[in-house]
Amino acid sequence: MADLLGAFEQAVLLAIVRLGANAYGRTVLHEAQASLGRQVSAGAVYTTLDRLEQRGLVRSRQEEGTAARGGRPRRYYTVVAEGVSALNEARDTLTRMWSSIQWPAEGVR
Amino acid sequence: MREPDSPPRWAETLLEALLPCEDRHAVTGDLREEYAEAVLPELGRWRADVWYLRQGLSLAPRSVLREGGMRKVLLLVSVFSMACGGWLIAMELLLRHAGYATRVAVDASISLVPLATILVILLHPGVRIERWFRLCGLVPIAIAMWAFVGNARSAHFEGFVLIVCLALTLQGVLLLVSLGKEPRGFRLGGMEETR
Repeated sequence: MADLLGAFEQAVLLAIVRLGANAYGRTVLHEAQASLGRQVSAGAVYTTLDRLEQRGLVRSRQEEGTAARGGRPRRYYTVVAEGVSALNEARDTLTRMWSSIQWPAEGVR
Repeated sequence: MREPDSPPRWAETLLEALLPCEDRHAVTGDLREEYAEAVLPELGRWRADVWYLRQGLSLAPRSVLREGGMRKVLLLVSVFSMACGGWLIAMELLLRHAGYATRVAVDASISLVPLATILVILLHPGVRIERWFRLCGLVPIAIAMWAFVGNARSAHFEGFVLIVCLALTLQGVLLLVSLGKEPRGFRLGGMEETR
């Protein structure tokens, strides 16, 4: 079994899935912030994108930039089959872990 | 001249120098786009600049930990502390206060270690030599501690001593951990990383 995805890795991967063809650094950052409900630093997102790419879960390609970016290119990200499997596995594990617990969880009385 | 809706040029240039070459333009492009379209209209110039610097700082560990990044930072810090040492030597020789010869010798040691570090980074004398050379990292740390403790008791602790001490400490720590451990990922021409 591959290493289970962390919560932030899942948020970034799901952001890429939701954004589809428009998933580049800035939009992924916004989407991750929206789904997590908190401010996220650019460094955290780019570090996670690097790690996911090194693990072969996402693929990236560069495209030409716009005037607002001073002509700098955009790097677009796509979730590959291994990334989808990792997401499914993370979801399955979470569901299994919660299966015998009544929601919302209560402490011992 | 700074463009009206762009982040501080010096910060952008510094960030580009620190980021790995394969995605430096993509990352700074994302930040520039966010700065111009979202942050600047909402926060105003000054707070938007602070936001940009914060984002740059959040990217620094990633740059340092990636292949070749630590050597790049070590090179920048070494150039800085060598310039500081050179400046201190020039001032001592110019002012010639009592006991200046000893201080020139200390200042020379501040300059020699970074000079040697720069040569090692650029010339790649071999992993074994680089491993031994890492021990030289103890020299700038010791000098920094000595200068800091010596000046901390003085009534007129000067800001530049603190800056030089911080640069020397950073240089020493990077020297101890980076050379000989990190794969060679640095080339002089255009500060490119090799893979």
